[in-house]
Amino acid sequence: MRQLKRDGEFINRLAEMTNQRISDCYQCGRCTAGCPFAEYMDEPPNRLIRYIQLGLKEEVLKANGPWFCASCLVCQTRCPRGVDIPRIMEGIRTFHLRSKEQILDVDKIPQDVLLDAHPLVLMSALLKYS
Amino acid sequence: MKIPYYPGCDLYTKAKPLNDSLKAVFGAVDVELYELPNWYCCGTTFNLTMDNRMSLIAPLRILARAQKENGVCLVPCSICYNTLKRANYILNQDSEVLKIINEHLGESYDGKMKILHPFEFIKENKNLFKNAVKQELKGLNLGCYYGCYLLRPKQEMQFDDPEAPTIIEEFVSLIGANPVSFPLKVECCGSYLIINSPDAAIDASYKILKNARENGAEALITSCPLCHYNLDNFQKKMMETHPDHQPIPIFYFSQVSAIALDLPQEYWGLVYNKTSPVEVLKRHKVL
Repeated sequence: MRQLKRDGEFINRLAEMTNQRISDCYQCGRCTAGCPFAEYMDEPPNRLIRYIQLGLKEEVLKANGPWFCASCLVCQTRCPRGVDIPRIMEGIRTFHLRSKEQILDVDKIPQDVLLDAHPLVLMSALLKYS
Repeated sequence: MKIPYYPGCDLYTKAKPLNDSLKAVFGAVDVELYELPNWYCCGTTFNLTMDNRMSLIAPLRILARAQKENGVCLVPCSICYNTLKRANYILNQDSEVLKIINEHLGESYDGKMKILHPFEFIKENKNLFKNAVKQELKGLNLGCYYGCYLLRPKQEMQFDDPEAPTIIEEFVSLIGANPVSFPLKVECCGSYLIINSPDAAIDASYKILKNARENGAEALITSCPLCHYNLDNFQKKMMETHPDHQPIPIFYFSQVSAIALDLPQEYWGLVYNKTSPVEVLKRHKVL
């Protein structure tokens, strides 16, 4: 059986960064049901929230979900417990990025994409991924 | 009437047809939109972390400058509208944050600016626009696409019902066309995922366009330059991954208004549309 490592400090740090009571989530799954990108995520949003509740730092940081979250706020609108999931996704992204981990390297964006890209798209991607 | 408007990074570049047609349409009803002096970037998508208030700095400075002009500022780009309105909500609600950022910038903003989207202005001044319509686009089925930024989060945006909005439908009826409401009208187009995960973004856009067509739309209208970019620019690529996709033109709402008001064609900005609207407009004898 896999040994799970609980990290209480990580939950507290994430709660502070996002100002959310993550323990409020009762796992109804509406966030995942409405998420347009859940099918691309290795762990759907509600499971990611559960991992955070359990303090499973490694599982949370390994998941690709936050990089597929487009901050469209559908889950935030529909959550019956008022948990602002996009803030938590941003918190996880920020946790990675503050550890100087780059997801998007501007030098590696193909030239044609770079030249054609809408400034808003490019700036938003750089804000979220670098 | 003169109102300042905030162009943001894209109204003179990628969203030029939105800029040109909007100014012309408002001009035709004697509302002069003039560029907010000394504006700069709003910061694009709003930062969602709560332990970093950096993202309020640019909005506060913009809002303080706008307030010197007028108590109201029109913001046509959905993303700028979202960012400025969310920032303004925090500055208005949290006097401590307002004080810190004011002191940091040497400004004295009071958190009371009113930020208006053109849709809200048109709704408030219905008759002004209705009376200016010269050619009713009867029978033109326009899918009303909202996207995310106008509507969510509900409490901060106070724009319309985030799940079942009607403001674009009302606008379409006002200019004499036929509004098409469809389930995915509030779904995300893929946003900035187009840079790093283009397949996911194109798939999201495809689902929206398919859903609009199945509900009878011949074209879509939107106010968001980012949605416009994703929905319009990538239809060719969409056909590679989704062979059943049929091209569907995407208009800015102001382009369709310019047509309804029968303004000179240079203001319609159709040359900027990547997916050609010519066939649809010919079908309805507009061209």
